[in-house]
Parts: sequence; structure tokens; C-alpha cells
Amino acid sequence: MKALSIQIQREFWEHRGLWMAPLLIAVVMLLAAAIFGHVNVSFGNAASHYDGPNPPPVAQFMALGWAVPFFLAAAIQGSAYLIDCLYAERRDRSILFWRSMPVTDARTVLVKLLVGLVLVPLGNFALAAATGLLGCAIMALRNHDVVVNGLSVVALWNLADWLQTQVIMLYGLLAAMLWYAPFAAYLMLVSVWARRSPYAWAFLPPLLLVVFEYMVFGTHYVSHIVNGGFGEFLHLAYGFQSADAAGDSGRYTLQLLTPAHLLASQRLCWGLAASAGMVVLAIRLRRYRDDS
Amino acid sequence: MTTIVEARDLSKRYGNFVALDHVNFTLQPGRIVGLIGRNGAGKTTVLKTILGLSSYQGSVQVLGMEPERDRNALMSDVCFIADSAVLPRWLTVAHAIDYVAGVHPRFDRKRADEVLATTSIRRGSRIGELSKGMITQLHLALILAIDARLLVLDEPTLGLDLIYRRQFYDTLLNDYFDKERTILLTTHQVEEVEHLLTDVLFIDRGRMLLDAATEDLAARFQQLTVAPDKIDAARALGPFYVRELFGRTIMLYENQAAAGLAALGDVSTPGIADLFVAKVQGSAS
Repeated sequence: MKALSIQIQREFWEHRGLWMAPLLIAVVMLLAAAIFGHVNVSFGNAASHYDGPNPPPVAQFMALGWAVPFFLAAAIQGSAYLIDCLYAERRDRSILFWRSMPVTDARTVLVKLLVGLVLVPLGNFALAAATGLLGCAIMALRNHDVVVNGLSVVALWNLADWLQTQVIMLYGLLAAMLWYAPFAAYLMLVSVWARRSPYAWAFLPPLLLVVFEYMVFGTHYVSHIVNGGFGEFLHLAYGFQSADAAGDSGRYTLQLLTPAHLLASQRLCWGLAASAGMVVLAIRLRRYRDDS
Repeated sequence: MTTIVEARDLSKRYGNFVALDHVNFTLQPGRIVGLIGRNGAGKTTVLKTILGLSSYQGSVQVLGMEPERDRNALMSDVCFIADSAVLPRWLTVAHAIDYVAGVHPRFDRKRADEVLATTSIRRGSRIGELSKGMITQLHLALILAIDARLLVLDEPTLGLDLIYRRQFYDTLLNDYFDKERTILLTTHQVEEVEHLLTDVLFIDRGRMLLDAATEDLAARFQQLTVAPDKIDAARALGPFYVRELFGRTIMLYENQAAAGLAALGDVSTPGIADLFVAKVQGSAS
């Protein structure tokens, strides 16, 4: 346990951007809330939709909107980290030092995968949730005088809505980790394999394959695999299409989540199998590569 | 006492290049063994097979384990410094200690602190800010604090000035070495380690030229500075190496009675560096 914790810390020592960038985003978001946070809310015609017993789900909008920059950062940083993590140690030759310690190659690779695929997104999520509440408080202070449909926007704040949205997002995040695991494993594989320019090796071959396939066969199978299928993922993970999802109350509830639907997806199963294969290959490459 | 390393028929090829050619050697506990060879002779390949970093043909047992298969278990008992520059530049000194303390079951943090206290290295410094000599001091402090049975050093003092080199070996001898531990080291600067080695292994073009205890060298090898009129007689005794220096002729013999040689000139024991040159050039001709 102590070893695992220090191994995880080591990744954040090396890749300081992993914790500095989210903090920077948090500070910028909070400052923006404080400086530009005075909103002029107008729901226009939609306002009637939220009349009466169903006030607009302001807390949901806030939670979602606040989290978006953090999620984008997590995706970009996680990818950049995974591309670099097994390449950097060979570039600076420190791999000989790491390998002189009693730490298995499997463990090293899995810890790095854990950091890039799981901990970085979770950390960003937690920071978004924590600072989001603070941001909401700042916005509430700045907008205590704004009135919608005769109600102060501050009165529209609803903690249950906010918490429910956090659960919906956390579920999405965990689901996305499974869905995007093959991309993470692929980036690690490139990282451990490339002798130089891992970024080029990560992006050019899939791109060339897509172009090649289209020009020669006129088909799109490769692009279907490499495009990430974000639309398909959302469609599988969340039941947006079902009538109750954003029910009569005009807010999303936990009924939106369709994990069974997602887990039954062939694409997910193939993706996980491919991830396992690529991780095993990455471990073997780190273990048996002899170019130091 | 168990044998620390036993290599039998060890071979390694890189494509067509034969890096090791059926090499045999053993390392016993409580020895300081110098693995001496030219660049590309196969020194690093030997070390890599011992450390389980490289595949090989033949058999190698390190502490009773097969290095390639049992590498992880082995790394608890074996430490190595591959080159003084391999500590990552972004790591701070304090974090380096934290890391090794976290992952190594045999690391004694107090010991590392003691060794570091004798240097001018500051905890908060990044390794990239340290001089090469200080990086080696830090690496040595980390290694000395690990209770390992075999320490492998590959050119540990390369690029260091004389003061750091001297300190490095002094620390190694005074604070680390004991009867239970074995040190295997390679270096170009044979003269500097000559007095501390208990054993020497000479390697050239993938083959072992010599595997001997330094205390046996005097009985086994003789250096004769030949009197000018005795050169033919000296040649007749079959020296394995002849060298002309400032008009004098020096010949090296193996297992030649010193008493017989004394009649032909001045007899002495060759130094390890001279012996190495003689062995390599003698085997080439």
C-alpha cells in the first residue's frame, strides 16, 4: 500500500501539470465567477415550461457547465500523460534507475494506466465538484437580486438537483473509463514502443489507415474504430431517448443511467479485450526491450 | 557460503555480433570483483545478464535465482548503478529518498540521511541542478542504505573528477563492503581500483581472458625487465607478451619460476593494468 502510494506520487512529481493544470482551471473558474458572474437570466418562452411546481434546474446547469472545462482538461492531460509516461523514462535513461528497484514491469505499467485513465479524471471530477459548490456560492452572492418568474434565482438552487447531477456525471466518467480504455492502452503501447516522436506514432498511423482505407476500399471501418464513438457512447450509457429521462420536471434524474445497456455493448467488450491485450504487450515490451 | 553468481556457457548475440562467447565465471561472497575490458568487449552485456535486463543463452544463477525469470525477487537483493547520469533530472533529492524508501523493503532511511549528511547536497534540490559528482554521491547514498548482497557498478565514476572518484571508492569500502557482500564493478580507470579489487575478470571480444584472485596474481604472473644481453634466453622461456620501453625490454610470463627468471634480469609482479594490456594484446597476436 505504501509502495503503491509512493509510486502514484512519483507520477505526479514527474508530470506536475497533472495537478497544476486542474488547480489553475479551478482558480480561473472561480475568478471568472467572481468577476463576470452577474448573469441576466432569461428563459424566454421556455420559462413557461418551468412554471409552477417545476422551477428551472439551475443547479443542474451549474454543475454541468462548471465541470466541462475540467473534463476536457482531464481528457487532454490523461492522453498526453499516457503518451509520455513510458517514453520519457527511456529518453532520459532513468529507466535503468527505476528498473534497479524491486518493482515489477507489470506493476509500473498498471500504476501508470491507473493514473492516466482513472486518477486524473477522478481528480478533475472531485475538484470540479468541490470548486463548483464554491462557484455556486459566489454566483449566488453576485445574483441574489436576479429574479425569474417572480422567484429569486438563488431560491432556485436545489442541492438535491446538484448532487444528482454529480452522480450522473460520475457515472458517465466511470463509464467513459471503460469505453476509452482501449485508447489509453493504445497510447501506452505507443509510449513504450516509440524510439522517438511518440505523438507522431500515436496519431499518424491511425490517420493514414483511415485515409488509406477510404481511398482503396471506399469504406470507413477503421475510422469507425478510431473516431472514439462518443455519440455511440452517450447513446449507450445514457437513455436520453427514453421519455422519462428528462421527465416532466424538465430535469435529468438517475433514470437517465443505463449501465446494463452499455455493458451489453459489443463494442465495449471488444474494446476491453483489446485494452487487456495492449496492456500485456506494453508490459512485455518494457520487460524485454533491450536498448538501454 | 553460497556462490553469489555462477555463469556457465553464457552466450549472447546481437544479430551477427557475438557479444559473449561461452563465458564461464563465478563470484563468491565478500569479494570485490573488477570486470575489466575495452569498450565493446562485453562488460555491460555481462552485467545486464546478471541483472536480468537482457536475454542470453547458457545458464546464469544469481543468488540461486535465474535473473531473467526471477528479476523482481532478485532486485531486492541486488543493487546497481548503471551510470551516474541515470537519476531522473526532475526528481528532487527528498523525493528520491521517499521513493526508494517506499518501494524498497531493505532500504534504511536513517542510513541514507547519514551518508548524505557528509555531502553538500541539499534536500530540496532537483537532481538536474546537481553536478555529476553530486548525483553520483546521491545515488551511492541511496544504494548504501539498501541492505543488498550484490552491488553491480557499471563505470560508476565515469566523468567524475579525481576527488569524487577517490571519495566514491573510499565510501564504498569503508561504509558498505563486508564479508557478506559482493561488489562487481567495471571501470576504465583500472589503476584507481587496482588496490581494492580481490578478484579480476578480463574480458575481450566476448571471451574471458582471465578469472583470478588478485592475491594469486603474484604467484601466477611474472614481469621481467630483461638484461640487454639475455633477450634471446628470455624469449626462449616463452613470454606471452613483450614490450619495448625506453630501450628496455619487458616480458610477461605465466607460471614461470621466478628463480629461473632472476638470472635474466629484474623480476617483479605486473600491475593489473599492465597485465590486462598484455593479456589483450597477447591474445590478439
